[in-house]
Amino acid sequence: MTWLTVAGADVTVELHDREPMLSGLFRSGYAYRVGCKRGGCGICKVDLVEGAVDYPVTVSDEVLAPDERAAGVCLSCRAVPVTDSVIRLREDDRLRCVAPFLAAAVRGGSSGNSSVQKGKD
Amino acid sequence: MGVMRLGYVHTRVTDLEESRKHYVDTLGMRVVAEEPGKLFLKAWDEYDHHSVVLEEGGVGLVKLGYKCRTPDDIAAFENRIQSFGAVTERMSKGENLSVGDGIRVVLPSEHVLELYSEIDVVGTETGSLNPDPFPRHLVGVGVPRIDHTLVTCEDPATLERFFAECLDFKPSERVVTGLDRDADLIGSWMFCTNTPHDIAFIKGPNGKLHHFAYWLNDWNEIRHAGDLFAMDDVSVDVGPTRHGITRGETIYFFDPSGNRNEVFSGGYITYPDFPTITWTPDQLAKGIFYISRELNERFTTVLT
Ligand code: FES
Ligand SMILES: [Fe+2]
Repeated sequence: MTWLTVAGADVTVELHDREPMLSGLFRSGYAYRVGCKRGGCGICKVDLVEGAVDYPVTVSDEVLAPDERAAGVCLSCRAVPVTDSVIRLREDDRLRCVAPFLAAAVRGGSSGNSSVQKGKD
Repeated sequence: MGVMRLGYVHTRVTDLEESRKHYVDTLGMRVVAEEPGKLFLKAWDEYDHHSVVLEEGGVGLVKLGYKCRTPDDIAAFENRIQSFGAVTERMSKGENLSVGDGIRVVLPSEHVLELYSEIDVVGTETGSLNPDPFPRHLVGVGVPRIDHTLVTCEDPATLERFFAECLDFKPSERVVTGLDRDADLIGSWMFCTNTPHDIAFIKGPNGKLHHFAYWLNDWNEIRHAGDLFAMDDVSVDVGPTRHGITRGETIYFFDPSGNRNEVFSGGYITYPDFPTITWTPDQLAKGIFYISRELNERFTTVLT
C-alpha cells in the first residue's frame, strides 16, 4: 500500500494496490481537472515531486512524450505510484474536496496509519 | 448520389486486447478479421465487411472512409478535389482489407479521408430474406451501426467549403460568431444522407478526433447503454442528455485508450433543400448539451 500526497493542498490519501493516482484521489472525495481517464488526452498531467511510478497499462508516447516522462511528468489517470509519492498539480489547476464526508471517512477510517498520516492529524 | 455514407472509422488504440473488450463485449460489435496489431469490426445491421478498424500503437484517428455510389462519382470528386487544391492519391484494391480502388485525400484539416465504392458485402446479421427485427443474441449494447464522426480543425470555414464544393455535403447546422456577414464559422454539421450529420467539425487543432458515434434507436436504448457502461466501468464523459444541435440524444464516453465514442439516437430528417439552422455563441452551451446548458471543459480540450 502506498500514500499519495498532493503538495500545496496538504492532502494525503491511501492508494490501493496497483491503483492509479487519479482513481485514489477521486475515491477519497477529491477532484481536479481530468479528461478521458483512460490515458488518451493528457489533460490529467501532474508533476512528480517525490517518489516513483509505474504504468501497468501502455500509454502512448504522443500523449506522454519520453522526455516529459523522464522529467517527472505523470499521466495521473494511468500512473501507479510504487512508493509513497508526492505530486503537484499544474499551476492553473487545484485540488478540490468534492465530498468532505468521504475525505473525512477516508482519513479517520484507515487502519495502520503511516507516519505521513499521523503527521497530518 | 455521390457519397452514400460514413463507411469506416480507423483509429489507433494503445492496447488491442483491452479495446477488444470494449468494442466487442461492451458495445457488441463483431470481429470480422484480424491482422497482426489490427482488428476489423462490424456492427450487426451493417452489411459491408467492416466499419471500425482498430490499430495498436498510439491514439486518435488514422483515417475515415466514406463510401461512394460509383467509381465515376469518385473520378468526378477527384477532379473537384484537385482543383480545390487538396492532395489526393489513388488507392488500390487490397490496400485496405476488403476495400476496392478509390482515392485518399488529405483534407485541409490534415485528416485523411478515403473514398471508395467497393467493399465486400457480407450482409447484416438478420439477413435480407424475411428478416427478424434484430439478432437474438446481441452482446452488450448491441450497436446496430456507426453513424457519424466529429473532428476538429483550425479553419472550419475551409473544411465546410471543401465538403460542400467537392463532395456535395450540405450543412444542417452551423455555429457562427455572430449574425453579420463577416462572422466566423466555429462549427458545422454536414450531411450527405438523410440524417442531421454524417460528419461535423468544430474549431480546434487540425488532425484530431473529437468522437465517432454509434446509432441507437431511442432514448431508452441510450439509458440502457449507460447502465452497461456503469457495469463495465466505461469512462463516461457526458450524458445521458440531449444535443440542441441535431436534436439527438446522447452519451459521450471513452474507449480504453481515451478515444471518445458516442451513442446517439433521434435527430430529424434532412433533404438537399433542408434550411440550415444557425446557432450563436451565447447559445452554444445549449446547442451542445441542451438540458444542462453548460459546456464542460472536456468538450473542447479532450481530443485524440
Ligand atoms: S485524463 Fe485523459 S490522459 Fe488522463
Ligand atoms: Fe456526435
